[in-house]
Amino acid sequence: MTIDIIVDWLQATLRWGAPLIIVSIGEVYAERSGVINMGIEGIMLFGALAGVAVSFLTENVLLAALFSIFLGALFGLAVAYLTVSRRTNQVVTGLMLNLAALGGSNLLFALLSESRHERVARFPILFPEVFHNIPILGPILFRQPVSTWIALILPFLAAYVLYRTDWGLNVRAVGENPQSAATAGLPVIKLKYQAVILSGIFAALGGCVLTLGEVGYFASGGMTAGRGFVVLAAVVVGGWDPIRTALICLVFGAADAAQLRMQTAGSVIPYQFLQMLPYLITVIALAGVVGHTRPPKTWGAPYDPKDV
Amino acid sequence: MKKETKTNKFISIPFIGELALSGARPLIGVFLGLLAGAGLIALSGVNPLHAYRAMLEGAIGSPQAIANVLVRASPLLLGGVGVAIGIKSGVWNIGIEGYMYAGAIGAGIIGIMALPVAPIVHIILAMLAAMVFAAVWGFAPAYMRAYRGVNEVVATIMMNYVAIFLTSWLVHEPQFMAEPGSFFPMSLLIAPTAKLPILMKGTSLHPGFIIGIAACVIFYLVLRFTPFGFRTRMLGVNPIGSRYAGVKVKKQILLVLLIGAVLGGLAGAIEILGLKMRVYMDFVAGVGYESVAVALLSGGNPLAVIASALFFAALKAGGATMSIQTGVGAPMTTIIEALCVIFVIAVGHGERMRLRRLEAKAKGTEEVQENDN
Repeated sequence: MTIDIIVDWLQATLRWGAPLIIVSIGEVYAERSGVINMGIEGIMLFGALAGVAVSFLTENVLLAALFSIFLGALFGLAVAYLTVSRRTNQVVTGLMLNLAALGGSNLLFALLSESRHERVARFPILFPEVFHNIPILGPILFRQPVSTWIALILPFLAAYVLYRTDWGLNVRAVGENPQSAATAGLPVIKLKYQAVILSGIFAALGGCVLTLGEVGYFASGGMTAGRGFVVLAAVVVGGWDPIRTALICLVFGAADAAQLRMQTAGSVIPYQFLQMLPYLITVIALAGVVGHTRPPKTWGAPYDPKDV
Repeated sequence: MKKETKTNKFISIPFIGELALSGARPLIGVFLGLLAGAGLIALSGVNPLHAYRAMLEGAIGSPQAIANVLVRASPLLLGGVGVAIGIKSGVWNIGIEGYMYAGAIGAGIIGIMALPVAPIVHIILAMLAAMVFAAVWGFAPAYMRAYRGVNEVVATIMMNYVAIFLTSWLVHEPQFMAEPGSFFPMSLLIAPTAKLPILMKGTSLHPGFIIGIAACVIFYLVLRFTPFGFRTRMLGVNPIGSRYAGVKVKKQILLVLLIGAVLGGLAGAIEILGLKMRVYMDFVAGVGYESVAVALLSGGNPLAVIASALFFAALKAGGATMSIQTGVGAPMTTIIEALCVIFVIAVGHGERMRLRRLEAKAKGTEEVQENDN
């Protein structure tokens, strides 16, 4: 009985953690290049809506994922243009993008209202039925949708790209010292654009995974419920490292999963206090790591090619 | 080299010119925002001129419409000035939404009690409770930002969600605030003595906007003429320099964030005592984030907050009429709001570039003159 509860909880942890991990990968790249993409909450929201809309209209989840990736790239491009080329304040840009996305998703969702709370086609489960019956590991690992597996492999791939390829080295150099990077002949602006567009792509894909990997419907008025900001915190707590950040995302996923389990299990604690849990843990985690992690040197600062 | 150009900038740009530039910038931004909004409205298949005419009618077409705008402006004025003070000192106070919930809880608890006091006393007590609740609520993120260096954007936003769930718990049975047997969870009605007076028959116009405008004027004067205001502005312009000048930076940041919290709490109290008459989940619905847009459009100037809060309130009120008359969804106004602010900050960059070109030009002529000599 208790084993079942733990297995169920771990399975849900992976499913709730997966969207956070995917979003965090892109944000790690953007922040490593010096740009904080505060708009990931809004981009996630749009990815979530786009995923449900395309899945509802075409019943093809691959198409849904591709379309949200395309949307995410567009949003990433917009953020990159504003923060890198026009050097707007990164916090303002992100917050206003979130505000626009909240309005925009409510507006567009109203057009699709026939799909309201109707479950759409979701990401399929990767492994065949045989594996599901393996004790413990079966339900936790093998009865997961494709998206969870992507989220499990992605951090390692991302770490390899960041630490072991030229492109990764260049992105890190740009975030640490763009002036020297430019002197060394690196295309600083281009690299920042690439990193920020990646953060848009992964944010939208993460949103799509949130709706199509788990719930299967879109709820108007804040489907993502602050998860983008949770990811921003996770990146800081994870010290701008893809793998460590992914682990922190799993912790937040575990909190989310736990509060949902405890709600349905009818705990003595009022469910609203359980709902607060992921947010409180985020704040406490942030407070705990301050001073223990070091951000990229030009984190959040605009880059002016004319400054020497 | 770099220092030289910086000093040059201050000398070579005349004061009036800078003022004109900084004054024109929000107007250009708003114009471009409305233009882009017109494009989006056209994309949704509605004539943008019709939509904007409906919006204008809904905002200023009748005394009732204007009253409606003023009612919507009340929380934006208070929240906007709270965020604006933060911007002036260089911290982002995104927690207005949460402070409004905390304030509403405080005002609600006092408001639903049947107190044997005069209405004005009851209202003041409820507002004081709201401000105390909000200050207590805002203390945790403010302290963490000021003394621990926690990112205030993430911390305050996380606290907003916590505040919503706390409100939800309080208005569910069997908590003492909850309305028994109601279909939708909400608190009891506030007592008649705690209700704000209605200023205009047939509307819900309450004195909230007067309090809001007063707060904007007061904080304009505070920022301009008091040592506290001077320290706040200095902190925003040069945090390291102000530390050397003896400003207690941490205490200052804490105070600035707490002022924002108190103003947000007051905004929540006014919403409850003047308009909603009950506390319930989602009663704020984004006003806190719109306050951030208001403050950004004002560039952190409390007097400009009055204009930008009225503008956004008119946009929102007009948006409801637009939605009814033309079928363009009301959330369109939220998008237009965000677009306005994005254009304002993007235009700011164009200005910097123009200044730089002017500077280079001025320097070029100087050099030419030097060569001539």
